[in-house]
Amino acid sequence: MLTVIVTVLLVALFSRLWFLQVLAGDRYAELAQSNAVRVVLTEAPRGDILARDGQELVKNRVAHTISADRTRLLNAIGEPRDETAEAVLARLVDLLEIDQEELVRRMTSVRYSPFRPTPIAIDVAPEVVFAVSEHAELFPGVVAERLPVRTYPQGDLAAHLIGHVAEIDADELEDPFFADLGYRGGDLIGKAGLERTYEEWLHGTEGLRQLEVNASGTVLDLLLEREPIPGADLVTTLDLDLQAEVERILEEGILASRNEIHVSSGRSLASTGGAVVVLDPNNGEVLAMASYPTFDPREYVGGLSEEYARYLYPQEGDPDTHAPAINRAIASAQPPGSTWKIVSGLAALQTGQITPQSTVPCPATWGWGKNNWNVRNEGSMDLATALMRSCDTFFYELSFNQWLVENRADDAGEEPVEVYQDLARAMGFDEPLGIDVPGERGGTVPGRDWKLDYWERTKDDTCARAETAAEGTYARQLYSELCNEGFVWRGGDAVNMSIGQGDVQTTPLQIASAYATVANGGTVWWPHLGQQLVDSDGDVVLEIEPRVLNQIEAPAEHWAELRQGLEDVVMGARGTAISPFAGFPLDQIPVAGKTGTAEAGSTQVPYSWFAAYAPADDPQYVVVSLVEEGGGGSQTSAPIVRRVLEAAFGLPVQPYAAGPGNVLD
Amino acid sequence: MSVDTGWYGSDRSQRMARERVQARWQDAYAPARHLDPILVVTALLLTGIGLAMIYSATSFRLELNNTDVMFYVRKQLVALAIGVVAMVVMAVMDYRWARTYSPLIYVMTLVLLVVVLSPLGTNVNGSQRWINLGGFNLQPSEVGKLAIIVTLAALLHEQKGEPRFPIVVAAVALVVVPMGLVFLEPDLGTSIVFVWLTFVLMLVGGVKGRYLLGLAAAGVVATVTAFRLDFIEGYQVERLTAFLDAGNSELAQTSAFHTQQSLIAIGSGQFVGKGYLQGTQNTLSYVPENHTDFIFTIVGEEFGFVGAVVVLSLFCVLIWRGLRIAILAKDLFGTLVAAGVVGLLALQVFVNVGMTIGIMPVTGIALPLVSYGGTSLIIWFALIGLLLNIHMRRFT
Repeated sequence: MLTVIVTVLLVALFSRLWFLQVLAGDRYAELAQSNAVRVVLTEAPRGDILARDGQELVKNRVAHTISADRTRLLNAIGEPRDETAEAVLARLVDLLEIDQEELVRRMTSVRYSPFRPTPIAIDVAPEVVFAVSEHAELFPGVVAERLPVRTYPQGDLAAHLIGHVAEIDADELEDPFFADLGYRGGDLIGKAGLERTYEEWLHGTEGLRQLEVNASGTVLDLLLEREPIPGADLVTTLDLDLQAEVERILEEGILASRNEIHVSSGRSLASTGGAVVVLDPNNGEVLAMASYPTFDPREYVGGLSEEYARYLYPQEGDPDTHAPAINRAIASAQPPGSTWKIVSGLAALQTGQITPQSTVPCPATWGWGKNNWNVRNEGSMDLATALMRSCDTFFYELSFNQWLVENRADDAGEEPVEVYQDLARAMGFDEPLGIDVPGERGGTVPGRDWKLDYWERTKDDTCARAETAAEGTYARQLYSELCNEGFVWRGGDAVNMSIGQGDVQTTPLQIASAYATVANGGTVWWPHLGQQLVDSDGDVVLEIEPRVLNQIEAPAEHWAELRQGLEDVVMGARGTAISPFAGFPLDQIPVAGKTGTAEAGSTQVPYSWFAAYAPADDPQYVVVSLVEEGGGGSQTSAPIVRRVLEAAFGLPVQPYAAGPGNVLD
Repeated sequence: MSVDTGWYGSDRSQRMARERVQARWQDAYAPARHLDPILVVTALLLTGIGLAMIYSATSFRLELNNTDVMFYVRKQLVALAIGVVAMVVMAVMDYRWARTYSPLIYVMTLVLLVVVLSPLGTNVNGSQRWINLGGFNLQPSEVGKLAIIVTLAALLHEQKGEPRFPIVVAAVALVVVPMGLVFLEPDLGTSIVFVWLTFVLMLVGGVKGRYLLGLAAAGVVATVTAFRLDFIEGYQVERLTAFLDAGNSELAQTSAFHTQQSLIAIGSGQFVGKGYLQGTQNTLSYVPENHTDFIFTIVGEEFGFVGAVVVLSLFCVLIWRGLRIAILAKDLFGTLVAAGVVGLLALQVFVNVGMTIGIMPVTGIALPLVSYGGTSLIIWFALIGLLLNIHMRRFT
């Protein structure tokens, strides 16, 4: 009997031991490991972002920080551990002038490892540092530290390009990019701009110390120490002085333009925002890129204030700040207006319908009542002249003829070759160019496929509207047509597109790239801001080489014809941008360019575009300006581009003066 | 054939031959020839393992405090020496002597148990369990176990295997007094051991099943009443129940924490262990009391499942030898004492190891022969001596 009892007891022991040590042993081995080894991470200093000449755009600064050891002050549910802790928290509340709730919230932030003090106040006054370090006995578990934070020696310069740094969020943690690089909750990452694109190099590798700790928390041994590897510095293509001037000129131009009148509507220009892009047409380097309105990246250090967050992202009822966080140079896709005529012109030459020598009429009215911007018939002209005069009807005629050719092919059951659209895509429209700053949009190049696709996406809505609109109204007629035949790529669509209206949309960057292609004779360069990454020893870890995205093959005389037209816009006798360039030393620095005045709906003031390259005979700069609701291209944007070119060539920059309001193209 | 000329045995040569046979038989039955070497060697092996484990458990801590790393090992070696002497003493004198003097042993034990509760006793961690005898701490409750075995065995021996009801009542009464004293120290674990010993001895002593069941029922009622009337201190309840939710992190630094760390230590040893002095749970002091009650965690962590099985197997050998002695014993008293010793051993091993692997509550019960603790070691060698004694005298 006793033997049986004893045997049962022993079997119980053996089976439990088998379970613990053999079956569940791995789990317990892990637990033992996590018991004994504490990992303390040291953040690596992030790499700097530098202008092309090495001037600092972003670097790190040491900030006086008050940090607290949460395990000494708080219990598991965020309450003071004991009376001492309570007293310390009360002293911190007084010292830092924050309430206790906020203090506890900061201390328990998941952003920081529980095994090192949590920063609770960054950038504190020296008196606060003294108070804590000289009265350590009053602040057990609290330390004054020096932590690296992002600093912006150039202020808000190039804010849209640099981007900012903030704590990684839940979605980003699941993003394979961050997951594969081993990012963890609480890591600071580049959230936008170059900080985001070059995150992998800028971030550096955090230092790591593995400590052996006993049950009472005493460190017994340093098992492993890895020094932090600072992030590499990013050298950009930005010309810092030019960038500063471009930002200043854009802002000045936009603000000044708001005093001007839009001639045809009589309303003053809204000029809600704008962008300027300066490219090197020979390699795709972005020399300057500005977007207005802008913001101050310094506001992101230590977290956005609510007030500033509402400026960047207004909520219901807040004043419209015109989306300062958007980088309009790459993310504002708008109808390009007449700047698009280089695409239509080159396409017309490619179709063979015209040669550089051919002439086409430029009547005041074409077809079924489509007007040129100019009310006079300008007679027949060649392509260069059509560009100089920005004659809409010239391009209507040619694009309509091409549309007929395509339709005939379609009717004959062949795949129509959309020459205009194909060229536009080859030049980098319809898709993002892939600039190394996140947020770029691709715009739209409409055509038969696009129309069909768009119709399929919208027909439910248009058909419903057709049903509800009153019998016999224009709206009912329009929606019925859209509902039933909205998939048809009409002649009207083709001619609208030929002058950069209708459904075509481009970003300022795409226009700049297209003008660079004309300037350099056919090469589509990858636009980029990154030049090289240099590690802390000064060794180049990554050379960012210019890349050719595409090569547009066209006879030299075609390029010459386009360039002639663009030069005439600025320098010809009847160019649309003569007056904004009055007084510019065109004899020394010849400039080629094109105005654009894009209608954006019947109620809005048009969007003002100007694209230029200079010197026209040996292009070094491509400059594009877009001002939303800025009126005529020569009215607002051409004066901006002129001043940017003055700055680029080291000429004295003239005070801003609006161009003529009556040149509406 | 020879002619028988005198009385039987008058022939000297015959007598001498007879005496030679007799002497050979006497020699063969001489107690000294019936030692149980397996029992002794196993006990010594376990003690040796215990010494190695004590060294592993304490040397790191002692080194950290810059004190003699052999401090505990040395003290345990002294206790071992005394224990071996006690074993010899207990083996040499006839165990039936204990039957005669059992009332005296019983009374002396009661005196010690009263003294320990008086200001003469030493209070450690709220328990009054030790009497300081100039550098050596005597733990009367350990002596009490021996006394209970001897006293009950003597009482039941008289009943020749058929104890009547009044005797059962008397036996319970004899146990309740020292048990109550131990309970007051408080030493809940040892009190429970007393209950178990009573049960084992009555079972072997032939107490009828219905009495045993009645006793068990009474025990349950008493326990429940004790809980209800708050006789048992809060921490004891907590310690007893905490093992049920060892994974609960809210109870860190409490007894659940002990159990959890103990489980981690043993579990992380896996199949072959981390190696001697290599257990991090041990060397970094994550397992409290790992030189005394939790010494099995070191076996588990540093020698893995293999080591744990070896140690438990050695205990099985002891139990096997003990049961064999109980069966072979010449009289019921011997059987009862041997069974009591085996029962005590089996219970302590089960409760102690069970505690470290989370299937028994945390009670202050040491692992026999292995845990650090002088009184316990000496008593265990004395009990081994007692077993030897019974074994040796199974023919005389």
